[in-house]
Amino acid sequence: MQNGSVPRLELIGITKSFPGVLANDNVSFAVKPGEIHALLGENGAGKSTLVKMIYGIMPPEKGEMRWNGEPMDVPNPKAARKLGIGMVFQHFSLFDALTVLENIALGMDGNLSNRELEARVREVLKTYGLTLDPHRVVSTLSVGERQRIEIVRALLLNPKLLIMDEPTSVLTPQEVAQLFETLRQLASEGCSILYISHKLNEIKVLCDTATILRGGKVVATCDPKQETSRSMAELMIGGNLKDVSKDASRTFGPPHFVVDNLSVPGDGRFGTALKDVSLSVRKGEIFGIAGVAGNGQNELLSALSGEVPVDRDDAILIGGQAAGTKEANARRKLGLCAVPEERNGHAAVPDFTLTDNAVLTARDRRNLVTAWLINRGAATQYAEGVIDTFSVKATGSAATAGSLSGGNLQKYIMGREIMQTPDVLVVSQPTWGVDAGAAAAIHQALVDLATAGSAIVVISQDLDELLALCDTLAVINEGRLSDPMPVADADIEQIGLLMGGVHGESDTTHMPKPVVEPEAPHAV
Amino acid sequence: MLFKVEKRPVPSQTMVYLTPVLAVLVTMVLGAIIFSLMGYDGIAAVREIFFTPILNTLKWQDLAVKAAPLILIGVGLAIGYRANVWNIGAEGQYIVGGLAATGVALATHEMTGWYLLPLMALAGIAGGMAYASIPAFLKVRYKVNEILTTLMLTYVAVQLLNYLIFGPWKSPRSFGQPQTVLFNADQTLPYIIPGTIVQAGAPIAVIVALVAWFLMSRSIFGFQVRTVGTAPNAARYAGFSANQTVWLALLIGGGMAGLAGMLEVSGPFGRMVPQFPTNYGFTAIIVAFLGRLNPAGVIIAGLVLAITFVGGEVAQITIGLPFPAVGIFQAMMLFLLLAGDFFVRYRLRRVVTAASVKPASEAAE
Amino acid sequence: MSFDLIIPIIITLVGASTPILIAALGELVAEKSGVLNLGVEGMMLIGAVVAVAVMLTTGNHYLAIICAAGASACSALIFGFLTLSLSANQVATGLALTILGTGFSALFGQPYTGQAVPLLRSPFAPELAQHEVLRIFFGYSPLVYFSLIMVVAVWWFLQRTRWGLILRAVGESDHSAHSIGYSVLGVRYLAVAFGGAMAGIAGSCFPFILTPQWVERLTSGRGWIALALVVFAAWKPFRLLAGAYLFGLIATMELYAKAAGGNFRILPSELWAALPYLATILVLVLISMRRQGSTSAPACLGRPFVPSN
Repeated sequence: MQNGSVPRLELIGITKSFPGVLANDNVSFAVKPGEIHALLGENGAGKSTLVKMIYGIMPPEKGEMRWNGEPMDVPNPKAARKLGIGMVFQHFSLFDALTVLENIALGMDGNLSNRELEARVREVLKTYGLTLDPHRVVSTLSVGERQRIEIVRALLLNPKLLIMDEPTSVLTPQEVAQLFETLRQLASEGCSILYISHKLNEIKVLCDTATILRGGKVVATCDPKQETSRSMAELMIGGNLKDVSKDASRTFGPPHFVVDNLSVPGDGRFGTALKDVSLSVRKGEIFGIAGVAGNGQNELLSALSGEVPVDRDDAILIGGQAAGTKEANARRKLGLCAVPEERNGHAAVPDFTLTDNAVLTARDRRNLVTAWLINRGAATQYAEGVIDTFSVKATGSAATAGSLSGGNLQKYIMGREIMQTPDVLVVSQPTWGVDAGAAAAIHQALVDLATAGSAIVVISQDLDELLALCDTLAVINEGRLSDPMPVADADIEQIGLLMGGVHGESDTTHMPKPVVEPEAPHAV
Repeated sequence: MLFKVEKRPVPSQTMVYLTPVLAVLVTMVLGAIIFSLMGYDGIAAVREIFFTPILNTLKWQDLAVKAAPLILIGVGLAIGYRANVWNIGAEGQYIVGGLAATGVALATHEMTGWYLLPLMALAGIAGGMAYASIPAFLKVRYKVNEILTTLMLTYVAVQLLNYLIFGPWKSPRSFGQPQTVLFNADQTLPYIIPGTIVQAGAPIAVIVALVAWFLMSRSIFGFQVRTVGTAPNAARYAGFSANQTVWLALLIGGGMAGLAGMLEVSGPFGRMVPQFPTNYGFTAIIVAFLGRLNPAGVIIAGLVLAITFVGGEVAQITIGLPFPAVGIFQAMMLFLLLAGDFFVRYRLRRVVTAASVKPASEAAE
Repeated sequence: MSFDLIIPIIITLVGASTPILIAALGELVAEKSGVLNLGVEGMMLIGAVVAVAVMLTTGNHYLAIICAAGASACSALIFGFLTLSLSANQVATGLALTILGTGFSALFGQPYTGQAVPLLRSPFAPELAQHEVLRIFFGYSPLVYFSLIMVVAVWWFLQRTRWGLILRAVGESDHSAHSIGYSVLGVRYLAVAFGGAMAGIAGSCFPFILTPQWVERLTSGRGWIALALVVFAAWKPFRLLAGAYLFGLIATMELYAKAAGGNFRILPSELWAALPYLATILVLVLISMRRQGSTSAPACLGRPFVPSN
């Protein structure tokens, strides 16, 4: 580890606001040459805004940025790249319909010929031991391979500072281990790395220094190896962690939600087909489905919720009733409620009021419509009930869904479904992009619903969340679901291998073992 | 920069209702300037087009006659556009509706009875619906874009009209004119206000618009249309069928346009003539937008557009302004309305601390 | 069939296809950048009326074509301002542009109604241009050669140049392009202006190749057919060429049917007149049947983009 006296990057008093939010408030910290520096904070703490300013996507309102001690001016990403700043985005900045090479060319500022570029790409791949076919079209690649494009694109610029925004949220444990090796190699060559994450265990393993943000402010700078995950988590959320209280000794009823050899053809260019998916969830059981994004989770949720009815009626049984060919509302009447991953425009209509959003899914189970006319009074009452019970911060039931923060809207959506007392609840990414307080509340509500006797399916990319929440776990990969296993004796390495499946990582035998063991279950 | 554009936390309801009013006002101002620059008397043009039809009570009956088909078709289109179904071929559905009613009128020409008009109305609605069901079927079954199909079918409808009145339907007593016989008394709409040219079309249009307004704002059907239109994924999640909504939207749009066609052919025209396609179907697109895709608003917007038509005829006589100028005023209204929608979601805010902003922010603006 | 029947058919066919081809090429570029401009018909009318006006005033065909391109590009920029800077609905704004173009051309065309406009004839020497066989190569208006060059140029630009790659990237994923540092709105403004200029040139084809005078609404829906062709061609320039000539063939058949009578009279002339529109619908159906759901449309087509600042 090099230890230059002049910081590679220094931020002094950076401030940035959006209408109604102070995203960054007087933020200062420094990154040394060759240092792996963590930027840690909850969703909404201001991490992404901060790095967007460093990379020149948006300007700060106040404050100064220094590069190797000199004032730094980055009006746009091009200027940032010129200085030697590379960035790997959380939501990849890739073009699905173009090839790997075209994608990389778009990220380069010089005008290299295709042949020269390809030669350099192959060189970088070789240096860092990465595999990637430059002529493949991006839409055919796995998530891990897509991230590699971003990394190669950044490495081709010989970066002095590499910004990684939540890079592991979509990777298998093995892919994470490989990524960490690459990053360590880079750091040893003198490149600084700004590593943004909310995963404490990873930061403990990888990073030299951590700057913790909360509500847009720096609340601490520490050495993560000297801290416990819990102490950092509490700095991050600014309070005590609430653990989910789950009665481990509770017993399950008979199977209540059964999926039998469900197959669905893939839809369109980028869809994944479901192949022979079978699962059985008992009353009171929480059944988790792990997997890397894009392996059929959305298709599975659509098939289970009834958004896309399947062709065999007995492929899905709700309380013994065949429901495969029924659409969403008919399944709701049978007792199955669902919450898709995307809040805005899928689970809720952003332009509609919370009352109208209650009508969206609760109209039949809660009698909000009589003789084709919407019963406004009943709908408002139901919406207000959800707002109260789930402590949703909103100006009232007349507020539009789009005006709520992500966490509050998610609480409202979960509340709207849970208060319909479904016998079966299928949820996808219940706490995606949600702050710790809301996540804990949502987890507790799910556990309570299960305790009351509902069968619950949770689809999530967050393995930690599933391990904390579920009783049984299965892994989805390329549309196939693994055999279920009790969470109590789950083996992380094996789950990781299942998540990686056969594609992309055929050389798993040479892969480093996962370095990150999940923490004891808690609410983060 | 003294002002900064900023997203509103919540879309402004005030601006939703204010925008059409502002669009009309700014159209008057801009129109006066543009037509003055072009060498016309711009202020007189605006006065004649927008105010004379209101101030001159003799013109009110003309307004009622022009507004009725615009409101009827506009309501149908507004419901469709709410569902994100872009039926821009209402003109064709209007023509086919008129033709269907004409067909019934010709078949029953020797008969009398109160039931002839209702029969023609049903035929008109059915004709418009049938014609709109072609793009509906193609969209639902083959995912063919309805914008192009509805429009193409309008050109086809014009040819169908020509074929019929130049051929099989041509009146033997028309001295070679391509037109049908005059409908008989029981096939012609009665005048409802004695001494005027106002026929049954106007009250029917208003009643239909009010019923549509009630259904759109209160019924689960209106909720379904709005959900499918704004958030198709949420609609599927809620259990609303997108295909069913496409069918409904096009059948309603086609039915209303067909009804308007029947009311026109059995009203002002009294027979089918080559001049029957009057562009009401296209103008109603502006009516639907100016009425904020709200059936109640469409009533007002239909009146506004009727005013410009009647006023345009006045201006042609009084100040020699060519009639196509009306089209420019109407297009300007639509443009300004769409531009004004920006301020429903955004607002201008004065930047107070302009001096304290670091230089780095200038380049990125 | 003999040469003296085929050659006039081909020449009529190519002429009838040219405006559709030019307009569709412009729209293809705009759509590749992610903007759906439904105002092609209106922009063509603006181009046509401006071409007639400038031609009858100055007598210079090329100046008239340039002015037509400029006027339509300006009208496209109004559309661009609304849909790009003010993120207005692209479908509605495109319709507004067509309504504006129809009104504008009707108003400004009035004084020119009935006046003869000289055709823009082949640039080659009469020995070539009027030679009974060679005119199949040399007997066309310069606008025809322009359209063919533009097919190659648009293909080359999109597939072989860095700017073309950027334009496609912007149409595929506006947010990705923005985060790498490309000006999404800048690229789209240029593409929309190009689409407008091409529609204007396409409009000038009507008085300069097809009907040597101003007639109100002389484009009679050709702008909409151009839009359909872009879908038919799956956003590929050479397939656009094939599609445009197919429609030229149908339009030519209509002309011959009207002129010849005889055997063509089996069908009423109105059906012949409706044929191009019916064929457009049929082609759209066949295309979507073959594609089975997945399309090659640019992923961001028609979606407004608001850069976060």
